[in-house]
Amino acid sequence: MAEFLLPLGSRVNKNGKTHKAPEGATKVRKFRIYRFDPDSGANPRIDTYEVDMAACGPMVLDALIKIKNEIDPTLAFRRSCREGICGSCAMNIDGVNTLACTKACEEVASSDVKIYPLPHMPVIKDLVPDLTQFYAQYAAVKPWLSTRSTAPPDSERLQSKEDQEKIDGPSACILCACCSTSCPSYWWNSDRYLGPAALLAAYRWIIDSRDESTGERLDALEDPFRLYRCHTIMNCAEACPKDLNPAKAIGELKQMMAERQH
Amino acid sequence: MAARPLSPHLSVYRFAYTMALSILHRITGVALAAGLIVLVCWLMAIAGGEAAYARFTAVMGQGLLQVVLAGWLLAFLYHFANGIRHLFWDAGYGFEKAQARRSAAIVVAFAVVAGGVLLYLFFCPEGVRS
Repeated sequence: MAEFLLPLGSRVNKNGKTHKAPEGATKVRKFRIYRFDPDSGANPRIDTYEVDMAACGPMVLDALIKIKNEIDPTLAFRRSCREGICGSCAMNIDGVNTLACTKACEEVASSDVKIYPLPHMPVIKDLVPDLTQFYAQYAAVKPWLSTRSTAPPDSERLQSKEDQEKIDGPSACILCACCSTSCPSYWWNSDRYLGPAALLAAYRWIIDSRDESTGERLDALEDPFRLYRCHTIMNCAEACPKDLNPAKAIGELKQMMAERQH
Repeated sequence: MAARPLSPHLSVYRFAYTMALSILHRITGVALAAGLIVLVCWLMAIAGGEAAYARFTAVMGQGLLQVVLAGWLLAFLYHFANGIRHLFWDAGYGFEKAQARRSAAIVVAFAVVAGGVLLYLFFCPEGVRS
C-alpha cells in the first residue's frame, strides 16, 4: 500500500548548517543539499552551501566536487566518468532525476540549486542511495543472451544490421536508476514491480534476434505486479538522461503479452 | 549505525503534467464509480413513477448537488478523453515524449471546452440562451 508520508526517522530537517561564501566571491549561488549522517543517527537535514560560480565549473557535479574539496569534505556522493556514461552521479536535482555531470547549473531555473538523493530509496549517506534492490531487479530479468541452439563453431552468432538497430536504443541504458526512481508506481510497489529500467532491459533481450528464450522471458513477466504496475505515467521517459523511452518498451511488452494470448 | 532513512519522493519531485494527468485519471475514475450510485437512484426514480421522479429531481436540483453534478460531468469528460489516450497507448501509438505532451494537452483542452459548452447548455437560464 502506498505510503505518501515519509517515516518519522526519514523526515527532513530543513534548517541544517549554512556554509557562507568566501570573502570576495562575485557570483554566489546557494546549493541546498540533502545530508544524512549514518553515524549520528539524527534525521536527515538540508545544508546550504554558498558557492562562488565565478570559480566553479559549469555542471552540478563540478559544484559538488568543489564543495567536497573546498568547503565540506564530509559530503558524500557517487561520481566517476563525468560525461554521462557511467550513471554513478544520478540524483534528484531541482525536482527531477538526472545526472549531475550532464546537468548545467545554469539549466536549473530556481534561484537555489536543490539536490536530493534518488527518490524513495534507502539512503546510505547524503546523496548515496542503496541500489541493492534495483540491481537485483535487473538481474531478475536475466540480462544475458540465452540460447538453446549450438553456437556456430567458427564465428559469432550474427544478426542483420536492422536487427542490431532494434537493440541499439535500449542497449544504451546505463542503469543510473533515474527512470525507476522517478516512477510513482515504483515508489509504491518497488518490492513487486520491476520498474522501468529492469523492464527496458527485459525488452532489450526479448527483441534480440539471437535470443532464443523469448517465451520464458515473457512468462516471467506474466504477473499482476512485475510488468502491469506500469500505468504509462511517462515520468521515466521524461527523466532518462540518455533520452531513452522505457514507457514505450513496456507498452510493446504489454502488446506482446496480449498477442501471444491467441 | 542508524537505520537507513527513506529519501523524499512526492515532496521533492517536481509535479509534472505526467503525474498530474495520471493521478487525475485515477481520481476521476473513483469519482465516476461513486457517482454510479446517483445514476442508479435516477433510474430507480424513473421506474418508481411520476411522484418518485419529481422527488428525485427536486433533491438533485439543490445548489450543492448541482455543483457535484457539474464536477461529475467534468470528471466524465476528462476520464473519457484520457481513456482514449490510454487505448492509443495500448495499441502502441503515442509513446514519444512530444506525442505524449501533445495528447495530454488535447485531453485537457477537450475536457475544459466540452465541459464549458455542456455546462452552459445545462445551467444557463432559458431566457439568456435564446
